[in-house]
Amino acid sequence: MKFTVNGKEMSFTGDEETPLLWVIRDEFDLKGTKFGCGKGLCGACTVHLNGSAIRSCVTPVGALANLSVTTIEGIGSAEHPHPLQAAWQALNVPQCGYCQPGQLMSASALLAANPSPTDDDINTAMSGNICRCGTYPRIKKAIHLASDAMAKSVDLAVEVKA
Amino acid sequence: MSQFNQGHDTAGLQSIKLDRRQLLRAAAMSAGSLMIPMTLSGCASNVPKGSFDDSMRPNAWLEITPENRFYLTLDRVEMGQGTYTGMATILGEELDVSPERFLLNFAPVGDDYKQPEYGLQITGGSSSVSSNWQRLRRAGAEGRAMLKEAAAKVWNVDVSSVQTDNGDCIHPRTQQRLSYGELVGIAQSISLKSEPELKTQDQFKYIGKQRVRLDAHAKTFGKAVFGIDIEKEDLLFAVISRPEILGGKVGSFNDAAARQSSGVVAIFEVPRGIAVVAKSYWQARKAQEKLEINWVPGEMGLLSSADISALYQQKLADEKGSSIRDDGDWDDAVDAAADVFEATYTAPFLAHATMEPMNCTAWLTKGECHVWAPTQGPDIARALAVKESGLSHDDVHIHTTYIGGGFGRRLSQDYVAEAVSVARHVDKPVKVIWSREEDMTNDPYRPATQHQLSATFDAAGKLTGWKHKLAGPRIIDYFARDAVGAMVPTWVPQMMVNGLSKVAPGYAPDESPVEGAADLPYAIDAVDVRYVHADAGVPVSYWRSVGHSQNGFVVESFIDELAIKSKQDPAAFRRSLLSAHPRHLGVLDAVLAASQWGANKTTSTGEKIYQGVACHKSFNTYVAQVIDITADGNQFKVHRVYCATDCGLVVNPDVVQAQMEGGIIFALTAALYGEITLKDGRVQQSNFHDYKALRMDEVPEIIVEVLASNESPTGVGEPSVPPVAPALANAIYAATGKRLRSLPLRLDV
Ligand code: FES
Ligand code: FES
Repeated sequence: MKFTVNGKEMSFTGDEETPLLWVIRDEFDLKGTKFGCGKGLCGACTVHLNGSAIRSCVTPVGALANLSVTTIEGIGSAEHPHPLQAAWQALNVPQCGYCQPGQLMSASALLAANPSPTDDDINTAMSGNICRCGTYPRIKKAIHLASDAMAKSVDLAVEVKA
Repeated sequence: MSQFNQGHDTAGLQSIKLDRRQLLRAAAMSAGSLMIPMTLSGCASNVPKGSFDDSMRPNAWLEITPENRFYLTLDRVEMGQGTYTGMATILGEELDVSPERFLLNFAPVGDDYKQPEYGLQITGGSSSVSSNWQRLRRAGAEGRAMLKEAAAKVWNVDVSSVQTDNGDCIHPRTQQRLSYGELVGIAQSISLKSEPELKTQDQFKYIGKQRVRLDAHAKTFGKAVFGIDIEKEDLLFAVISRPEILGGKVGSFNDAAARQSSGVVAIFEVPRGIAVVAKSYWQARKAQEKLEINWVPGEMGLLSSADISALYQQKLADEKGSSIRDDGDWDDAVDAAADVFEATYTAPFLAHATMEPMNCTAWLTKGECHVWAPTQGPDIARALAVKESGLSHDDVHIHTTYIGGGFGRRLSQDYVAEAVSVARHVDKPVKVIWSREEDMTNDPYRPATQHQLSATFDAAGKLTGWKHKLAGPRIIDYFARDAVGAMVPTWVPQMMVNGLSKVAPGYAPDESPVEGAADLPYAIDAVDVRYVHADAGVPVSYWRSVGHSQNGFVVESFIDELAIKSKQDPAAFRRSLLSAHPRHLGVLDAVLAASQWGANKTTSTGEKIYQGVACHKSFNTYVAQVIDITADGNQFKVHRVYCATDCGLVVNPDVVQAQMEGGIIFALTAALYGEITLKDGRVQQSNFHDYKALRMDEVPEIIVEVLASNESPTGVGEPSVPPVAPALANAIYAATGKRLRSLPLRLDV
């Protein structure tokens, strides 16, 4: 079983029913993607499959041959953060932080498809992601902030530090 | 506040004039493990070893390396409440180093790190900033004083002329700078003659200003390491089948098919159930599905929610209960009353449902036991690991991690004990992961409670008496079993600890069932608060804001009922009874102004807005809220939550703001949906489809005002929770005329 993860070709030889979540976490050692419910109910395990947000806890790895997966480790780095990651820091979004990789993956799929989402668009795209710490208001603001920055080509990472 | 014990009128026990906190403290002291006061450097032999040999380690919290790196040893755990940022701000202020320069070490178990009020190394009670406020400031001031003396020596100038600025000492004349790191070698051997002075508030550079949240970066890139992320070479994975019947046991089991499942390493019985160890988590789960287990009920039998509610009702009817507060004379108030008004309130069991399910990694190797746990109580975790492993305290090491939500759940250490019980059977490190279903059905729940409220009015319609009689379990009965092990000195033989943990529960006083009820702030001549111990055996624990979570709802709903009976505006009625409580009044007035209380407000589409108010003090922090709703038949929608808080001096304004927002959303989830029910011994809820959490599309606008104050800082993690349910219930009453006295708040039942 071969597929790409964050642009790198990876292979997995175990049980094809194994959810992608456990393969990326424990076989590929990419621990940013989180386990929250195992039933597609909370969004903590959200990754991109060919650009769309999916729940990796209910996606058997056998279904992924030749497809491309992106995880939180693949959307930005400290040096080159995704605009959402810059906005997340500018607005101090995370509390416990456990849901945040999943939130960022849902939000980044949203912005890729719809660069200027309305509040309603955000509600629709994000309501599969639970945050028990209640960071929703800041998530919503941060998505707007990143969207505005992208529209104006402002580098938030620089703005944030200044 | 008067104190009480399990049961009622137990002669002899009444003489214990200690509250829970005092008791824990007294036990810790008599046990010889008294918090070691901050030592001045030079005699700091008991400061835990730092991470670097050549670093300066003036006290248990601070370490500075010659390379000019600054380490904060965090003795409270970071579970989202912002304690990392808070502690770094306080330490950095007095050390004169920007909080953002601190690197983080999680504290090991150590006497220095005990929470002084509880005598335990726990993170709870919204106490991190309040309890560390002075000692971390002293820790920073001490480091700065030593570095200044070192610089004075180097430059041969008077120490009082040396200035500091963000990690540098500055020469009084030349303005030449020496970094703290450069001074470490000399500063290490300095003995301070006296305790250094602390800054005055007008000198603060970071306190009240520090905005950047220090853990935001790691948590934005998926780099923060939570308990579930611990990686070890040859790591094995375990899952445990726990009784499907609450309090039940394994009758018999057949693991023949499970053993054939791929990747299985071992299957065995542990005290809590049947453990399956495999090479991967998924393999352990697949094998677990093939286990055949016959569960038998335990002492609780096949309990249902209706049985518990009947038990509470019976006890409330049969027992007078212990008197918690007795102002004036309630009986006289009744005799003289022109009108007596009564109501019954109930609150359900609630699960914590932390986003990161319970998990723990344990490894027994070479006579040592290592535990990696997302825990709010590392010393209690150690006590349990000692018990389960049979090793000595010195050989058991607890490593803490970032925590994916605590809310009180991780004060109970059941998940640590069982991981060690699994690790005993294998020779490799093993990570036990709970599924969401296992987490939700085996939670130590927020207690369910029942409350009888009565009020008396005289002929003129004036409120003359208040009676609150409540029934529910005592959390300490469950908590003390494990906590005892962390409170007695480490030399006490395990057999004795086991004995103590059996008797301690019944004896330790517990104020948590009545907190928020006993301290009713309203000026009423006769106040009678009574507690009836009623416990069906369902394990319970601390849950964000603890007893305030039920009592805040009950008290602030009932006072609203009394306002309406008195034909007064609910806010004005409260104000008239709060003149002795300026800080309550302060937050109440602020929120009334912010919410335009009483103005005829409509939504943008012209729907009428109804408002409800509540005001409650918990953990020494004052919070008032107004909630705006619209209603249509049996449907209502929460539009806005206004919140004003007075938490004393503010260390990190944005952390306070975030905690208020988060607490409100957490409490709205509970008020709208939260309910754990039992049927025939089985917990009825299992995952987020039937134990719902508020989602993005349901979140109202939240407007928070943090009042300026010079009082000592108080906690912010919990106090925004209690007012939410009553403010909402009061708004629902205003909109519909229906008084909801049971949580969660449902119009359609
Ligand atoms: S863990 Fe996949 S949706 Fe919850
Ligand atoms: S930040 Fe804790 S669950 Fe979202």
